[in-house]
Amino acid sequence: MSPDARRPWRRWNTALHRDIGYLAVGLTLVYALSGLAVNHMAHWNPNYRRTVKTFDVGPLDPQLPEEELAAQTLTRLRVSEKPRSAFQPDPDSLEIYLKEGKYSVDLPTGKVLFEGTVPRPVLMAMNRLHLNAPKQAWTWIADAYAISLAFLALSGLFILRGKNGITGRGAWLTTLGCAIPVGYWIWWAYLT
Amino acid sequence: MKFRFFAPLFVCAALSLTAGEAKHYGQPMTLKTETKISEILASPEKFKGKRVRIRGTVTNVCEERGCYLNIKGDKKFQELMFKVDDGVIVFPASALGREAVAEGTVDILVFSEKEQKEMCPVEAKALNRKFDPAKIKGPLTVVRLNGLGADITS
Repeated sequence: MSPDARRPWRRWNTALHRDIGYLAVGLTLVYALSGLAVNHMAHWNPNYRRTVKTFDVGPLDPQLPEEELAAQTLTRLRVSEKPRSAFQPDPDSLEIYLKEGKYSVDLPTGKVLFEGTVPRPVLMAMNRLHLNAPKQAWTWIADAYAISLAFLALSGLFILRGKNGITGRGAWLTTLGCAIPVGYWIWWAYLT
Repeated sequence: MKFRFFAPLFVCAALSLTAGEAKHYGQPMTLKTETKISEILASPEKFKGKRVRIRGTVTNVCEERGCYLNIKGDKKFQELMFKVDDGVIVFPASALGREAVAEGTVDILVFSEKEQKEMCPVEAKALNRKFDPAKIKGPLTVVRLNGLGADITS
């Protein structure tokens, strides 16, 4: 009689670990890739690709109404698109909002900065799912995935037996893996 | 073949149905009366802790986490930040320049020099357009709306 037949829970454990593991592949990749992306937000924008251009349209009269200033700026820039709206954050500045981005105008000098945002479609979708932007049913899917991950972590401990299992090499590596977050937290929260 | 022929028509029809409609974010709106942003900024103490409904053009959106909008006031040079905790609502960058109707509670916050240095520089710039981390002097007092729900026209 094989050892697995003597302990049927091991067969169930292995089978569930295997099948839930297959089911979790897609979501794991979504969370892993977006995790990498949002972890480095300080260095790049993981949701949008930004384009920046500068122009010089010459001085504009700050006394004119916002709409008039926006119209004059766009005419000088030869932009035919109708703006969504415009805003003067202070007497010397004007912002014009279009579908593709924003023109920031320094009225006394006529210097214009265009900042466009183009979504990174795949990465943005992953990041939005990671941050649970859709809410509703995605909350339950993400919860089920989190529970699955916990199950995979624990069931994985009992797949192998012997010197490479949880009573041998596995014990040392698992302890080391658990010590990393605990140790880092103690260092960061109490010792620095 | 038929599907391929009609698919663009369906897409156009769907887009025409959604064009101009508002997309809702966050909690349901409960107030009927709108408060002018200029009134809130003129006497924030009077509104502190109160739930208000405001309307205006979106003048800034957090492109990184979608965690705030700035909304243009009814008077010149005025805007008010509508802030949500990360992930509670995620606003798209495409909201910029669109009209928003938003509900939240008015808050007055005082950020110390240390807090200003530690805060997200993008958010700091949205709270105070003249923000420069190298020129922080003294505490910064801001009035903002702790966001609950918003409708943004598409």
